[in-house]
Amino acid sequence: MLNFIYSRLAVSSMRRSSRMYIPYLGAGMGMAAMFYIMMFLRNNTGLAVMRGGGEVQLMLTLGAMVVGFFAVIFLFYTHNFLIRQRKRELGLYNVLGMEKRHIARILAWETVFSAAISIGLGLGAGILTSKLMLLLLYRILRFPVPIGFEVSEAAVLTTVKLFTVIYAASLANAIRQVRLVEPLELLRAARMGEREPKTRWALALLGLASLGVGYAMALTIEHPLDALVYFFVAVIFVIIGTYLLFVAGSIAFLKLLRRNKRLYYRPRPFIAISGMIYRMKQHAVGLASICILSTMVLVTLSTTVSLYVGLEDVLHIRYPRENTIIMEGYDSGDIRWVRSQVAAVLERRGLSAQAEAEYRFLSFPAFQSGNRFLTGREVTQGLSGTSISLHITSLEDYNRLVPEPVFLAADEALVYTNRGTYQYPSIQLLGREFTVKGTLPEMPARGLATTEVFASCYLVVRDMGVVEEIRQAFVNQGNRAPQMRYQLGFDLNVPQEQAIAAFRDIKQVLSQNKDTFTSVQSREEARADFLSLYGGLFFLGLFLGLVFWLGTVLIIYYKQVTEGYEDRQRYVIMQQVGLSKAEVKSAINSQVLAVFFLPLVAAAAHVAASFKMATRLLTVLNLTNVALFASCTAGVFAGFAVLYTLVYRATARVYYRIVAAANGA
Amino acid sequence: MHLLEVKNVRKVYTTRFGGAKVEALKQVTFTVEKGEYTAIMGESGSGKTTLLNILAALDRPTSGEILLNGRSLAAIPEKELAAFRRDNLGFVFQDFNLLDTLSLKDNILLPLVLAGKPHREMEDRLQPLARKLGISDILSKFPYEVSGGQKQRTAVARALITYPQLVLADEPTGSLDSRASEGLLRLFGEINAAGQTILMVTHSVKAASHAKRVLFIRDGEIFHQLYRGTLSVEEMYERIADTLTLLTTGGAVHA
Repeated sequence: MLNFIYSRLAVSSMRRSSRMYIPYLGAGMGMAAMFYIMMFLRNNTGLAVMRGGGEVQLMLTLGAMVVGFFAVIFLFYTHNFLIRQRKRELGLYNVLGMEKRHIARILAWETVFSAAISIGLGLGAGILTSKLMLLLLYRILRFPVPIGFEVSEAAVLTTVKLFTVIYAASLANAIRQVRLVEPLELLRAARMGEREPKTRWALALLGLASLGVGYAMALTIEHPLDALVYFFVAVIFVIIGTYLLFVAGSIAFLKLLRRNKRLYYRPRPFIAISGMIYRMKQHAVGLASICILSTMVLVTLSTTVSLYVGLEDVLHIRYPRENTIIMEGYDSGDIRWVRSQVAAVLERRGLSAQAEAEYRFLSFPAFQSGNRFLTGREVTQGLSGTSISLHITSLEDYNRLVPEPVFLAADEALVYTNRGTYQYPSIQLLGREFTVKGTLPEMPARGLATTEVFASCYLVVRDMGVVEEIRQAFVNQGNRAPQMRYQLGFDLNVPQEQAIAAFRDIKQVLSQNKDTFTSVQSREEARADFLSLYGGLFFLGLFLGLVFWLGTVLIIYYKQVTEGYEDRQRYVIMQQVGLSKAEVKSAINSQVLAVFFLPLVAAAAHVAASFKMATRLLTVLNLTNVALFASCTAGVFAGFAVLYTLVYRATARVYYRIVAAANGA
Repeated sequence: MHLLEVKNVRKVYTTRFGGAKVEALKQVTFTVEKGEYTAIMGESGSGKTTLLNILAALDRPTSGEILLNGRSLAAIPEKELAAFRRDNLGFVFQDFNLLDTLSLKDNILLPLVLAGKPHREMEDRLQPLARKLGISDILSKFPYEVSGGQKQRTAVARALITYPQLVLADEPTGSLDSRASEGLLRLFGEINAAGQTILMVTHSVKAASHAKRVLFIRDGEIFHQLYRGTLSVEEMYERIADTLTLLTTGGAVHA
């Protein structure tokens, strides 16, 4: 019978603190819905049978784990926050004669209601939108759209289990908190006279230095592989710098402003600076975390979006022709055989090869120092320069691919490098000197197998005789003999299924030659794999971006609401000594604005600084379209900022209402 | 001309969901002359805080009029009210109402900052005032670092720094121990002797006994007043105590 009273008390106190509870319930619902959707997609039977579906399922499993992990941390954090806010009320119950176990009962009822609402409505919302998400995922992966509506029982069960555990843990924490605190302490007015934060110049400067190092790294690194290595180092420097700057730098800066009396003793700066010093003391760590989280969301989203959108670019760079045949160590008979076999397959299928490109390459690694290309033992320590891979071909192959034939003497060469333009008038290689007849803006057919990761240099020399002489010199130097490589590329320009069928035939036919290593690559076949990889990443990026965004803004919302309660008295006092309502409102706006947008502005700076490094990383994945990446980044940032601003508006309104409620009294 | 004129002020509160009306002030009429030190005494719930809020232009009366220097408060537009308060009134509160984010100095300067005064003028006003109040040495400290008496002196400095026409004090000794109270009341006497008009609301007999005139308020009406004349503080204390005894025993005394 008495239970009835506790549940009634629970409901009424939830209603009373609805300003705190509604976002909490909303967040719980959102998290439950998203977790269900992730689990549902993962369990989707249609996905398993699609090409590349397995990888996508793996990614979704990972995504579900991230969402689950985030839900645990976030809901726990929010609930902790909620209880701290309500300590006064709970203390009052205690003073009025309620024992702590009775309070625990009220809290238990509150948790039961919250859990029921969040899990129930969350699952409902999840089930309703799961089909939509499935369609979106299939659309992104370009899979045929399935019909029918499914509810995954396993996903429902996992969701209920996980969230029951989360809510139980939150309750345990709340009861622990109530146990720990004495009733008088519970009742005592919030914070009486908090100490002014100290200026910690050393930490502030260290933060500045750390951020500087991180930024410098991100801005100066040219080489994609270096970017791969140093990316995480730079990230760590920037994270440390961000925390230190938010914690110590902000206070040092504000105090510096305060020291400028002409600036400080004016209405707006006076209120803003003095308020912000305390605000930063309490919230610097939270704001820095929000900044880091936002940066991660932005970078992840913009890279996955550009990879997905730039999929065709990536495919065309990785596969300059639809089909490419590569033969290592060939003789002239092999070439004739390959050509005739390919021709036969195409004829049987009624297809014709277009944009045909053929290269014979001699490739070996070299070390470029100025105009000297050093090999083998020539490379000594302390020499400045870069490692490159050198590809040498004959004018005959080159002239077949260009409209205007070129003539070269035996000591002349054409040069192409994928790292800017070759700057020297000559090339020294293996005891020979070639005069550079011309530098090429682009290797025809992109050399049939460019990877942008490594620095490559293409040399076109007069004929195969010169190529053979270079090979001989390389061997004479005492190096292992490099093999000659034959490459044949061509387009078919037919629908995907036909292209893949022809590719399989060619592959099958060429596999008969066991003596020479032959490989066949098809852009059309690779497309499905790329699509499932980049599409899966894209979907995951969107989804997790949404989850993180939800978490971020809710943390900010709660921060603002607590601050609203704390600032109440402050604004009452200011009105008594002569601050008008309009001035109060503008002061509030500028404070909320600062707290809200500081992390966003800092995140924007981080994203801008990371841009160059991110382009280098994308180069590793063969995405070199900087304009595309720039517009994706700008688009993602704009979207993020719009959502962020919407939350800011709502929060500022709630904050003002809290502060204004105390006015007139 | 009177400095402050309160004419037939009535204040009725309506409870939130309509229905019951509470008459906080029935009909209050009195005047304050320039240089006067007046105390308004009354029990909790007698309407004295309501009256003070109305005098401070933080609240508007239901009917009646308040004139400061012949200017009606009702005629001041909402937008100018804050500036009006800032320029003409100084406040001293029971719990000091200092901002804990500001040093004592900045707390004192707050009204001048809000008024947009140049920084040099602020310093020129601050130094002599701080010396007079004996807080010159602690100006750079924060409210949490100083005693209640020092906080209240700071609040007094904040009230005086705008050179207000009228200082309104709401139970200024309410949060102070007896020694600090004594010091503050002596300070009020000195300030008043220098020409500052003070209006204090209190239920402390001791605080009221320092004033030159005491108005008694009960159930929303002024029902008695005492002038000190040539009486000492102790004699005044006796008189006030007697009046309060009469009040609680139910006597209907009218001035």
